[in-house]
Amino acid sequence: MPALLLDDVSHTFGGRVALDHLTLTARPSQVTALIGLNGAGKTTALRALAGRLRPTRGAVGVLGHDPADLPAHGAVRFGHVVDAPLVYPELTVTENLRCAARLHGLMRQDAASAADAAVGRTGLDPWRHTRANALSTGNRQRLGIAGATLHHPTALILDEPTSALDPQGVVLVRELVRGLADGGAAVLVSSHHLDEVARTADEIVVLHAGRQVGRLEPGGADLEQRFFAMVLAAESVT
Amino acid sequence: MTGATALRAALAVETLKLRRSLVARIATALLVLLVPLGSVGMVALARSPQAVGPAAAKLGDYATGELASTHLLVCAQVLSVAALAAVGFFVAWSFGRELESGTAGALFGLAVPRGTVALAKCLVTLAWLVSCVVLVVAVTTAASAVVAAASGEPLPGWAEARDAVGAGLLGGGLALPFAWVATVTRSQLGTVGALIGMVAVTQIVVLLGGGAWFPYAVPSLWAGMGGADAAAAVGLPHLMLAAAMAPLGAAAVVHAWRRLTNV
Repeated sequence: MPALLLDDVSHTFGGRVALDHLTLTARPSQVTALIGLNGAGKTTALRALAGRLRPTRGAVGVLGHDPADLPAHGAVRFGHVVDAPLVYPELTVTENLRCAARLHGLMRQDAASAADAAVGRTGLDPWRHTRANALSTGNRQRLGIAGATLHHPTALILDEPTSALDPQGVVLVRELVRGLADGGAAVLVSSHHLDEVARTADEIVVLHAGRQVGRLEPGGADLEQRFFAMVLAAESVT
Repeated sequence: MTGATALRAALAVETLKLRRSLVARIATALLVLLVPLGSVGMVALARSPQAVGPAAAKLGDYATGELASTHLLVCAQVLSVAALAAVGFFVAWSFGRELESGTAGALFGLAVPRGTVALAKCLVTLAWLVSCVVLVVAVTTAASAVVAAASGEPLPGWAEARDAVGAGLLGGGLALPFAWVATVTRSQLGTVGALIGMVAVTQIVVLLGGGAWFPYAVPSLWAGMGGADAAAAVGLPHLMLAAAMAPLGAAAVVHAWRRLTNV
């Protein structure tokens, strides 16, 4: 059973089609990358999976449940960063992570140790007592990812997780994502960075105009070329 | 995770956010400093020979009567409105900024449900309100006691202090429905605008003579801001109606957060 599922999902904003009969799955122990041009529907698909959007039609599943009404036993195994992360500017890095841990269902003692471990894992140790509003955009992105993964989810959604990261941060997030997938998690990542996708993903799904227009093999040096060929072919059909 | 465990976790998170909140810090400081100062200061001004003309006319009610009782009467009147404003600004920030900044979206799919987070926000807000109101009345009572002792007048009584606490709690509790406004409008400024609009509407309703059944007018009228006759017209049903606005507001915002979508 897929850990993350969009089944024939369509959604419109006003008259504009954002998702058009999209079917998408992410399976345990795999990193699935979602790539597409701006406005292709990647973030809308991830928002639907996070339960933040009720699609006009179709079914959405996270660990076998409706994400809009996820029971606690499912929620403790789920993590996501889509758009704004769970980061409060007035709290320090450690405080933000402890809050995230508590909201993910960890008890106070466990939350403290999970926050400490997450600080180390994401290279945020020098800023552990810094308020989030004083962090760089990249470190705030690391903090958001740390908060969404400190409870070791078995289903994880990350929207553009490396968009503001420096090369060191990119490597950290890559190792974190791969580590979770190798531990059995289903990870769905949207990205514009095709090189990064090629390094991290087990499968690549190409989205265009709210539809899945094909899949690409991560290997090979011509990923960018194959991506544009697929998008152009889809464009010519529509 | 049980409901009680989830609520405990949400309360811990929301308490920390309240402690770090600039809005709460400023509001607390303003309440605790300005209300006692205004209460003692206005009575002193009303009874000084310098109070002439329009100021003397406006402060005429405070020029006579027992000194300490008058201090606490002014405290109750100011607090009935100041607590509404303070809590109103706080809930605009607490609920509205989550939707404006997008962190409300990150609260989906968590072990602690959104409705529990909203309930924790309401409970933390009410606890903060109670602390502020008790502190304000305690500081006013202490300042009044010093002034009264120096003037050889009787010290403040418990009944007046209790009424001032009641006026502050009633006024502050009326701000909880604005948490629902913040959720629906998804705007902090929009919520503050609605709060200001409600204060204006309250003035109009009071001028038209419909105050006692209008919850937002009740705390001020009960505290004597509309005169002794208007205060006497406020009975238990009117007070109960005003007091019911806080739980009704909390229930509405918890429901709205449970059904939140397109975030």
